[in-house]
Amino acid sequence: MNARPAAFPALAAPAAEAHRAPDAGWHRRARPLLGTLVEVGVPCSDTHANRWADIAFEAIAAVQACLSRFEPASEVARFNALAAGEEIEVGAHAQAVLSAARRLQHESAGLFDVSLGSAPDGWRLDGSRLRKLSPAVRLSLDGIAKGHAVDCAVQALRQAGCESGWVNAGGDLRSFGSARVAVQLRDEAGGGVRAFASLLDGAFATSHYDARSRCRLAEPGADPASPAPAPMPRAHAAVHVSVAAPLCLWADALTKLVALSGDAMHPLLAGFGAQAWLHAFPAHPQ
Amino acid sequence: MQVGPAIGAGIAGVAVVSVALAPTSAFAVDYLSVDQASKLIFPDAERFERREIVLDEAQMRELAGRGVRARSQRWGVLEAQKAGATLGFVVIDEVVGKFELITYAVGIGPDGAIRQIEILSYRESHGYEIRLPAWRRQFVGKTAAAPLKLGEDIANISGATLSCDHVTEGVRRIVAVVDLARRSGALS
Repeated sequence: MNARPAAFPALAAPAAEAHRAPDAGWHRRARPLLGTLVEVGVPCSDTHANRWADIAFEAIAAVQACLSRFEPASEVARFNALAAGEEIEVGAHAQAVLSAARRLQHESAGLFDVSLGSAPDGWRLDGSRLRKLSPAVRLSLDGIAKGHAVDCAVQALRQAGCESGWVNAGGDLRSFGSARVAVQLRDEAGGGVRAFASLLDGAFATSHYDARSRCRLAEPGADPASPAPAPMPRAHAAVHVSVAAPLCLWADALTKLVALSGDAMHPLLAGFGAQAWLHAFPAHPQ
Repeated sequence: MQVGPAIGAGIAGVAVVSVALAPTSAFAVDYLSVDQASKLIFPDAERFERREIVLDEAQMRELAGRGVRARSQRWGVLEAQKAGATLGFVVIDEVVGKFELITYAVGIGPDGAIRQIEILSYRESHGYEIRLPAWRRQFVGKTAAAPLKLGEDIANISGATLSCDHVTEGVRRIVAVVDLARRSGALS
């Protein structure tokens, strides 16, 4: 079933303890953001809980406003509308995400590519200046920005004095402080969830690849007008890729690397303190 | 960072391999009650008055002309009031995805602009369950959802295609319905 199952890390706590944190101790809120459902969990507090949740949602909305290609005023949408040779000033969010994307692009020999094959070297970030080098380049930060948004929300919560909790943007999850979160994998094909692991002070992300649908990630060098589907392990209807990493930005981005390479033991993972799981399962009867 | 085993999954190595074979279960979270959400969206409100919008055929056609499928002619609205003035409206709605049922609240200001959107509850279940009307009926009323609660654990789903497209579409419909009602004088 599993192509190459990675070993679980050493267990730091007995299983029973992993699930002892009661719902009653946590205040949970959720809003539709980033094209998915974003959940925030913070310690119950009459005075702070709702304010903390609002702070986390605001941090995520701020990232969305800068980086969503679907928002015409976003930096990514404005960059995509530029002519070759033009440049725009970008803020801290775009700088952080694009720097990370470029690093991963280099280290993965082009496998990770936020231009989705349109022109992998068609953009250059120089400080806060983002320059368009190729008329063909179109950036999409879908594969990395959600994780960054989660990290920003966690940072905002900590700065506001919230010592523990979690933020989950449709499966891009990060817990911090003493919040140990039970992670359940959503069965994308048949519905329902499966218990998988528990997470303490770290991030966890999952990507899904379905043989019947066209993958949004193009292979490097593919024609941008018709992005090629990602390589799919044979005989599998669908593949879940999960990555745990200290930061959600890397957990999010590295799921794409693992999915595209099909390698849950990809050598780059260790450099990010990450580990991956590849779960292949057959199609559900309809 | 610590990643530990899932409860009852035995030794860690087995948990990894057995992911695809483990039985699936339902997942449900209640975030806010209607009351809590209304007060969160309009904290200054002294009271919330129940109102009903009834769209006539011409209004249904007008909505359809704007590309909005009204779905129903009757819409319940909570009007947030303070000292006799209208602070805005709260509309509660639910949408069904492939395997999920999401109940949410939309707060709309007196100017018709969205004030806030809050998810009230999330239900994730198996495909065969969501196709059965009985599965949905059990969520009518607050206590009926209890059988689906996952004990006292804090649990989170990880998946890749969890989309809020249905919520976005629902919000758009609610904004259009409230806008139409305000302009026709039904909410004034």
